Amino acid sequence: MKILLIEDDREAASYLIQALDEAGHVTHHASDGETGYAMASSMDYDVLIVDRMLPRRDGLSIVESLRAEANKTPVLILSALGEVDDRVTGLRAGGDDYLAKPYAFTELLARIEVLARRSSPTEAATSYAVGELTLDRLSRKVEREGEAILLQPREFRLLEYLMKNAGKVVTRTMLLENVWDYHFDPQTNVIDVHMSRLRGKIDKGHASPLLHTIRGAGYMIRE
Amino acid sequence: MSRFAQLWRTTTVRLTAVFIVLFVVFSILLLGFIAYQSSIQIQQQQTASIDREVELLQRIDQRQGIRGIIFAVSRLASQPGPGIYYLGDNAGLQIAGNVQGFPDNVLTTEGVFSFNYDRGSGVDDTSAAEQGFAVVRSLVLESGLRLIVGRDVVERRGFTAIVFQGFLLAVAGILVFSVVAGVVTARRVLKRIDTINATSAKIMSGNLSERIPVTRRNDEFDVLATSLNAMLDRIEGLMQGLKEVTDNVAHDLKTPLTRLRNKAESALRDGGGGEAQREALETTLAESDKLIRTFNALLMIARAEAGAPSGAFADVDVSTIAEDVAELYEPAAEEAGMTLEATIAPGVHLRANRELIGQALVNLVENALKYYEPAEGKTGRITVAVRADKGRVLIEVGDNGPGIPPEDRDRVVERFVRLEKSRTEPGSGLGLSLVAAVARLHKGELRIEDNAPGLRAVIDLPAG
Repeated sequence: MKILLIEDDREAASYLIQALDEAGHVTHHASDGETGYAMASSMDYDVLIVDRMLPRRDGLSIVESLRAEANKTPVLILSALGEVDDRVTGLRAGGDDYLAKPYAFTELLARIEVLARRSSPTEAATSYAVGELTLDRLSRKVEREGEAILLQPREFRLLEYLMKNAGKVVTRTMLLENVWDYHFDPQTNVIDVHMSRLRGKIDKGHASPLLHTIRGAGYMIRE
Repeated sequence: MSRFAQLWRTTTVRLTAVFIVLFVVFSILLLGFIAYQSSIQIQQQQTASIDREVELLQRIDQRQGIRGIIFAVSRLASQPGPGIYYLGDNAGLQIAGNVQGFPDNVLTTEGVFSFNYDRGSGVDDTSAAEQGFAVVRSLVLESGLRLIVGRDVVERRGFTAIVFQGFLLAVAGILVFSVVAGVVTARRVLKRIDTINATSAKIMSGNLSERIPVTRRNDEFDVLATSLNAMLDRIEGLMQGLKEVTDNVAHDLKTPLTRLRNKAESALRDGGGGEAQREALETTLAESDKLIRTFNALLMIARAEAGAPSGAFADVDVSTIAEDVAELYEPAAEEAGMTLEATIAPGVHLRANRELIGQALVNLVENALKYYEPAEGKTGRITVAVRADKGRVLIEVGDNGPGIPPEDRDRVVERFVRLEKSRTEPGSGLGLSLVAAVARLHKGELRIEDNAPGLRAVIDLPAG
């Protein structure tokens, strides 16, 4: 994946570039808004990571200009402003996701991998399949090895989100944001309990589990 | 001198000055009018009496001839008083009378005249060489003699002088009275203002508990002092709050920072190989996540306390939020050996910040989960309820846990006040503070009630 990072803090940037490199991504770096905008509009990237407060030109205006030019590259906005209102303005400006500083690298990595996928053609699929597990979005039916699995509406949405991002790490906050549409900060293991219920329904009685817990990061569904 | 200048600048003194000027102007106008009217009256009376005497003398002239008229005029002229008489032949030679030196036109034409004359030649010898003012009527009698009858109008002038003297006296009196009254009032005003200034000087020098004294007169200064004092109370409250925030930030952030540092330090010192170091790093990471969480909670409380921009307010379905939260936590409650029951009235709407209301509910449910103490023969129970009641929206989270002792209930809702016990519990411990701040932001309140047994937290918000 080819990533453009627009971030003025050199230390944070070099740490991110190294970590993304270890994860197998190629990262270009711009340390101010103008350079970043020039690079983003002249080259083809899979994902842009844009800091909100930048010298010479702020992050939101870069995103707005790119969107005005019909540039649909997915954008993850990074910001020290973590309030709900700031998130809303960030997304309204054309950002696809918003991550408040300080963040865990696993969270950032999971989010950009999901974001980059978004521009791929599987977006409009009406059904997903992982191994023998199938999910039909229209009839809302879930089957494994031909056997129907009954899911609660929320469990269905959880599984739908996981399967849409099959093979990718999905973090707990991503699940809370995308399945429940809340951005608050649960202190207990609420998401884990939901996941263990879901796991009980889809993996129980099967030799090979599909739903995996990725330690220190989140969950992943894969064969 | 500067005191005088200060006095002059007071509204009271200025108003007094303006009123004095106005009073003098109106007095002059009024007295002038009275004097003018009176003098006209007197003149008319004098003219009338002159006319009567002229008529009388004309009759004497007709009936008794020159001898009679000379005798009558001589007798009148010899009487003391303001009368002026003259009788002369057509050559201008005086035959009888008490005044000489009439202007020429008086002696040659007929009519009414007024003029200054030399009173020394008049009847009253005691006021010799005095200028008099005369009003006379001059005419030629049938006998061919010229008759002049008139009055010395010194009396009229005396009247004007009396009026003028009275006027001067009155103005002087009023001037003295107003200046004294003005200065006294102004000094009192200045004194009251000086006390306010002195108090604010004390406050500015750091003594925030100082207040402006309020008298029992209940005048405009007392009203001002009362409202200023109320403002000072508010400021003092805010400063107190700020101090508490600072103290809490110091405690809430320094303690975990110290722990973090200690962990890192001891890991360095031990050097117990890869596995131990890895473990130490992991706890460090967990600690720093906790710190971030505390920091976020503090920020969120501060933002809610300051009043979030109204743009974040929208029409939200509180019922749906509560259902979402109940559904989100139901498995976690079950895992902890508790039940979570939701009695949520459908379609309760409110102008609110959806995320903050959600966060507040989450905090309350997490508190109920966190403080649950499993016991024999008891099932932990959490209830989430939303209802609309008489223009209020009530969001309730109840449990049957240990609760909060009555004497502490009010305290936990206060800004940044936490029970010592909760400080040492896991989590940021700012949960209820944030709920209370969110309730205040929505112009409502957080009440902590006895659920008998257990605790019931009620977010009471005004609907609409």
